[in-house]
Amino acid sequence: MVEQASAPAPLLSVRDLHVRFPTERGAVNAVNGVSFDLYEGKTLAIVGESGSGKSVTAKTLMNLLPRTAQVSGEVTYDGQDVRALAAAGTKHFFGVQMTMVFQDPMTSLNPVKRVGEQIAETLRYHLGRSRSEALEEAEELLEVVGMPEPARRVSQYPHELSGGLRQRVVIAMALACQPRLLIADEPTTAVDVTVQKHLLDLLDRLRRDRGMSMILITHDLGVAHGRADDVAVMYAGRVVETADARTLFFDMRHPYTEALLRSIPRIDDPVHHRLDPIPGRPPELIDPPEACAFAPRCIYAQGDCLGGVPELSGLVGLHRFACLHPTGTERGMAAMSANRAAGVTAAGLPVADSGGGG
Amino acid sequence: MARFVLRRVVLLFAVLFAVTFLGFAAMNLLGDPLVNVVGVLAELDCEGIEAGTVEDTTVDAASRDCDTVAAAKAQYHLDRPVPIRYVLWLSDMATGDFGTSFQNDQPVSEVIREKLPETLILLTMAQIVSLGVAVPWGVIAAYRANRAFDRGSTVASFGLLSVPNFALGVVLLYLLALRWQIFPSAYESGSFGGLVFSLVLPAVTLGLPLAASYQRLLRTDLITTLQEDFVHMARAKGLPPMRIMFRHALRPSMFSVVTVFGVSTGALIGGSLVVEQIFGIPGIGREIVTAVVRDDFPVVLAIVMLVAVTFVVLNFLVDLLYSWLDPRVRAR
Repeated sequence: MVEQASAPAPLLSVRDLHVRFPTERGAVNAVNGVSFDLYEGKTLAIVGESGSGKSVTAKTLMNLLPRTAQVSGEVTYDGQDVRALAAAGTKHFFGVQMTMVFQDPMTSLNPVKRVGEQIAETLRYHLGRSRSEALEEAEELLEVVGMPEPARRVSQYPHELSGGLRQRVVIAMALACQPRLLIADEPTTAVDVTVQKHLLDLLDRLRRDRGMSMILITHDLGVAHGRADDVAVMYAGRVVETADARTLFFDMRHPYTEALLRSIPRIDDPVHHRLDPIPGRPPELIDPPEACAFAPRCIYAQGDCLGGVPELSGLVGLHRFACLHPTGTERGMAAMSANRAAGVTAAGLPVADSGGGG
Repeated sequence: MARFVLRRVVLLFAVLFAVTFLGFAAMNLLGDPLVNVVGVLAELDCEGIEAGTVEDTTVDAASRDCDTVAAAKAQYHLDRPVPIRYVLWLSDMATGDFGTSFQNDQPVSEVIREKLPETLILLTMAQIVSLGVAVPWGVIAAYRANRAFDRGSTVASFGLLSVPNFALGVVLLYLLALRWQIFPSAYESGSFGGLVFSLVLPAVTLGLPLAASYQRLLRTDLITTLQEDFVHMARAKGLPPMRIMFRHALRPSMFSVVTVFGVSTGALIGGSLVVEQIFGIPGIGREIVTAVVRDDFPVVLAIVMLVAVTFVVLNFLVDLLYSWLDPRVRAR
């Protein structure tokens, strides 16, 4: 590197990440070659069903996988090899540069320690603050995350707070050392719907105020909408489609993305309108067949979908998708009408003549 | 809180009542306490002699022997039926009169004051040894769960749990006191330091098997705790593993250990009977063995009561410890 290139380097860059968990029944291939870039100040949403590998990807980034996990691939943060940093036990990297917010605020706080102490702990360990300084800062942080009566909260225990307030504590804890990258793993899944929007807006505001980058992991495309700059859709351990948010929502190519969007209830849907669920279940990750993993659930599936795993086409950073018969293209239209005519896809999924089951 | 304490005090008295009643009944019904006080004179049929219906065959003047028996009966209320004796004994206890030993007429309170400190120091040292060994042992085993160290320590702890403590005591005595002469082989009471030093081997003998069971419990609880989200959160905060272990995981994983700590006191006292014999420590354990053998029931009952009080009080402290360990207990 002689000088700074005109295009800024990504803050976080993941290349060909593979994660396998050996089990008695065989290796679970949880993540199969995931690549993405995240730029300073941007939000990347990773969307997928449970078992798609999105959480495992996040945990890999944070070095939180159990010892038995077999990881390969490159994770680069600001030019540094994250896996090497983790292996070397580098101090003041995790928690300072990048940190994470977990799904369930009911369990991600230590039940036996006061809220203030749990926030202060990070400040004391990483930034060398004294106990009283750290507690003062903890109170300020609680105020930043919109906690009512922060002065009283610092000396409360987690069980004295509601789920929404606890998640604010978790967020305050994550923000304590001014991280540049925040990974939020389903941050609002476990809280009330009414609290969800508050928390998501809070995260978004904090990200903007502090110039943080964020990876927002969710199973809900609706959560990603309006908050993510880029979206990566994961299925069976692979990124099947990735693009900037606008393109992904309005000009998606992968049938799975389309199916995910269709399964979200809309406010302008008629009352008692049936949702369009995605048929079937997510695939087994042990010894998967050499085929498109979504094919058994895909209304576009053709014979060639079962012949091999489709590659993610396109350049990193642009609209990329792994599909042989992409939706919104001629090939896709042709596949769809062929399946409709036959009443069944190549993978044996029955297809009604007029789209949904009614 | 006040209600909690009150409940405990009521429980304490209920336990004391049950324990002493059973102990009293056993000591009075299974053997004749009179024999222990006056020996063969208990065989005398004094009523018969007095009435002149039985021939007086004693060497001594019969009337005087019968006086001795009568005096003894009066002193220990032996002329009353057992339930009344129990009530009288209880009322004596209530006034702080523990009675006198049958063996040498020494007041029981004095016997206990003499023997108790040794046993208390021994038991405390045993608990310190067991916790001191079990906590680091359990932490390392859980940190590297199912690795070589953990597997080895499973074998080692089952080994320790299955060795009877007289065997362990004899082995330790032979190796560390006789062979390598690191520790004294006999009890020393010269100075407090000397006393503690001479109690190291007995404390280790008592404490090691307990350490093994603590270690098993702590390891299992820690492995569960280490899978909790808040431990992942602590890791995501970038805290080093041992700090997470001691600051976050250890405290919520202490419940089983603390529970067993309270309950194990009984087993420890039982163990101290044997260990005090092996190492020649003049403590409560040895005293109760001699007292039981000689049917010296004031001493036996006093010690049994002492053990019961210790047990109840210790478990009360354990309950208080729960609420320190987990603030959620306080809310209930």
